[in-house]
Amino acid sequence: MAADTQAGGRPPATPDIPPPRTETGAIGWAYANLFNSRHNAALTVLVGAVTAIGLWFCLKWIIFDADWSVIATIGGRFIIGNYNTDHACPGNNCFWRPQISLLMVTTLLGMGWGIAAGGTAKRVAIAATAIIILLAFLPYSLERMGWDVRLLLLANAPALALGWALGRYTPLGSVRWIIIFTVAGFLIHLLLMRGIEGVPALQPVAINQWGGLTLNLMLAAAGIGLSLPIGIALALGRRSRMPVVKLLCVAFIEVFRGVPLITLLFMSQVLVPLAFPEDFPLDNLFRAAVVITLFSSAYMAENIRGGLQALHRGQAEAARALGLPGWQTTMLISLPQAIRNVIPAIVGQFIGLFKDTSLVYIISMLDVLEIGRTFIQGNTEYLSHAKELFIFIALVFWVFTYGMSYISGKVEEHLGVGRR
Amino acid sequence: MAETQTGEPGGKKGLFTYQGVAVWRHSRIIEWALQIVSAVVVVALVVWFFTNIANEVRDREIPYGFEFLDRAYQTPIGEHFLPYESSDSFLYALGVAATNTIIVSIVGVVLATALGIIVGVARLSGNWLVSKIAQAYVEFFRNVPLLVQLFFWFYIVLALPPVREGHVLGGLLYINNAGISLPFPQPAGAETGAWIILAALAVISGFFAYRLLSARETQTGRPSYPIWAAMTTAIVIGAAGWLIISFIGGEAPLSMSSPEPQGRFGRISGGWTIRAGLMVLLVGLVIYTSSFIAEIVRAGIQSVNRGQIEAARALGLTPMGALRSVTFPQALRVIIPPLISQCLNLTKNSSLGGAVGYTELTNVAITMTQTAPAISIFILIMAAYLAMSLTYSLVGNIYNYRIRFT
Repeated sequence: MAADTQAGGRPPATPDIPPPRTETGAIGWAYANLFNSRHNAALTVLVGAVTAIGLWFCLKWIIFDADWSVIATIGGRFIIGNYNTDHACPGNNCFWRPQISLLMVTTLLGMGWGIAAGGTAKRVAIAATAIIILLAFLPYSLERMGWDVRLLLLANAPALALGWALGRYTPLGSVRWIIIFTVAGFLIHLLLMRGIEGVPALQPVAINQWGGLTLNLMLAAAGIGLSLPIGIALALGRRSRMPVVKLLCVAFIEVFRGVPLITLLFMSQVLVPLAFPEDFPLDNLFRAAVVITLFSSAYMAENIRGGLQALHRGQAEAARALGLPGWQTTMLISLPQAIRNVIPAIVGQFIGLFKDTSLVYIISMLDVLEIGRTFIQGNTEYLSHAKELFIFIALVFWVFTYGMSYISGKVEEHLGVGRR
Repeated sequence: MAETQTGEPGGKKGLFTYQGVAVWRHSRIIEWALQIVSAVVVVALVVWFFTNIANEVRDREIPYGFEFLDRAYQTPIGEHFLPYESSDSFLYALGVAATNTIIVSIVGVVLATALGIIVGVARLSGNWLVSKIAQAYVEFFRNVPLLVQLFFWFYIVLALPPVREGHVLGGLLYINNAGISLPFPQPAGAETGAWIILAALAVISGFFAYRLLSARETQTGRPSYPIWAAMTTAIVIGAAGWLIISFIGGEAPLSMSSPEPQGRFGRISGGWTIRAGLMVLLVGLVIYTSSFIAEIVRAGIQSVNRGQIEAARALGLTPMGALRSVTFPQALRVIIPPLISQCLNLTKNSSLGGAVGYTELTNVAITMTQTAPAISIFILIMAAYLAMSLTYSLVGNIYNYRIRFT
């Protein structure tokens, strides 16, 4: 600017006066955001004082008064439940099976990073792997957590690198292959956890012994993977002009949305076994997964229906005018736009599904929350420290749910929702 | 699409054509075939499912039917707002449990909405500190499962001292692991009934005073203080009624009853005790749901055009006044539908009450399955929950219908 004015032949400008101190920097920021009116200043002082006192007591409690040893006592059972106990796995040598699944997860994370070439995928992959590797350095004695466990945890670093290289330099680096590998990995995980009769290293472990965070994540993964397609089908059915299909979809959606999940879960335990032959392999895990998936897909259908309704009629009409048949109009024009517009609602439903996996306590499955609660009930000397335990479990859930909403925000940004 | 093709004169004729189009390509026929197939499949599945259940019920001699409803339930219900004895029937016990669910839902919905609006407005505050605290509140409580929060509050209450050694605040407020006891007005016979009728009359006359004066204010522009006048009217009539009734009846309509520890175990009688289970469930539900409502309120307020707020400010309204009489009424249209679905969620989430010792519908039903046919009980409580959810839908539909014409 200064150069322009000189070129115009005017007298050289006096040097710019710096803006007043009250307009820039920390002080300016505080004036603008905290003390911009008398009433706001009073509010800031009052709320600030209350917050400071509250934070002081919280910190004092966290550092001095709280006893966090209950978390270390439960330790690995948070993650795999009673999977590696003598009762479930005689010899206590089953711990490596969930560890292999974890390695598969980090490899997939690495592949995602390699394909997306940085950004959010990189941060998520690195952060997840860093947390897993930090677990290897927990201050446990070697008897509690042996070398083998620690080494398997450390192996996640090369697994991440391997996945990244696969995603970056091999033809496997595409979203399609990631989806194929994820499904395959999930099945391998189920097989590993279940074990195979007769193979010495893979002694079978009863499914009702599975538990901990692994259980929550498994139920959530199955539910997320299946509830989206089922929800899309239900939403399309509800909007179809075929009366019978529409009626069936509406009935399904309204019944599943109208009843609490724990009622459905309990019903699945009492009613569903009656409908199948007695030797049918119908374990709690399978039933819980089915009920949670169906419950969630009813909500998912309503979200997607909202997206379809918000879409301008002209989109579908233009597609039809271009000669696309009905199903291609839906698959290529309406659905992608509808889904893109309701990503927050869909991810909100995924988060809800993950939180709902904590309700499987009603059919006596030991998810991460139930592991903690049964521990407190069985060891009443920890009763006064139950607070610490539940705060820890809340943080565990929070990390996953907040991570999901963070990624959804980034995906939305990437797709330019609201900008186009 | 089918219609455009039917008109073609040169359509092929043959055994497998309909209106000149091969049947497997005719959209109307495909649709009908699809519908018939899906109907047959679903009906077959449902019939198979229930036939198997019916067979099992017959073979294993599992009880079924609804005769049990008249039998005595014979099991205590921890918390009940309707009078309940163990000798009461199953049907009445289910009614008691449903009342528990409805009461916790109504109180929870009112409190969660109030708190949610406060947090949602705070989230949009121009004050950085206030808005960040509201954001932290929302991001934390929304993302942690309700059951974890309920257990957290449950074990905090459980860790309180027992009734005998409980905290006493000012000799009036008793806090212990059984709940909170506080002074509460106690009714006193016929005088109470008479005064309640009078108080209702006082409120109604206050309401009419408000209508009258605010109409005058809008018509003439003279300040008439309708709110103050209405409150004065109601209070004066209510107080006069109180004095007259106590004078005639010789006893005050309501007397304050304070909680008193009694006996060897210090059991508290008198006053009003909010039991631990109800308190924990309410606190958990209200905090959890309010974090969702706060986001709905924020989105609703943000959906109002900025020009509306600027115009309101330009007309001289205070920021609070602009929010109250310009922004918020417009935001309500966006807020109400998702708010109703959150209220339904709160009602359904109250089914977790059993985990913290509040005997609501699902909890009582699950206990009942030990002594009564599970199938029949589940049909009943599914019907009860569906009725509640339909009530919420009805309210939502009425609201949608009404705003269409304004």
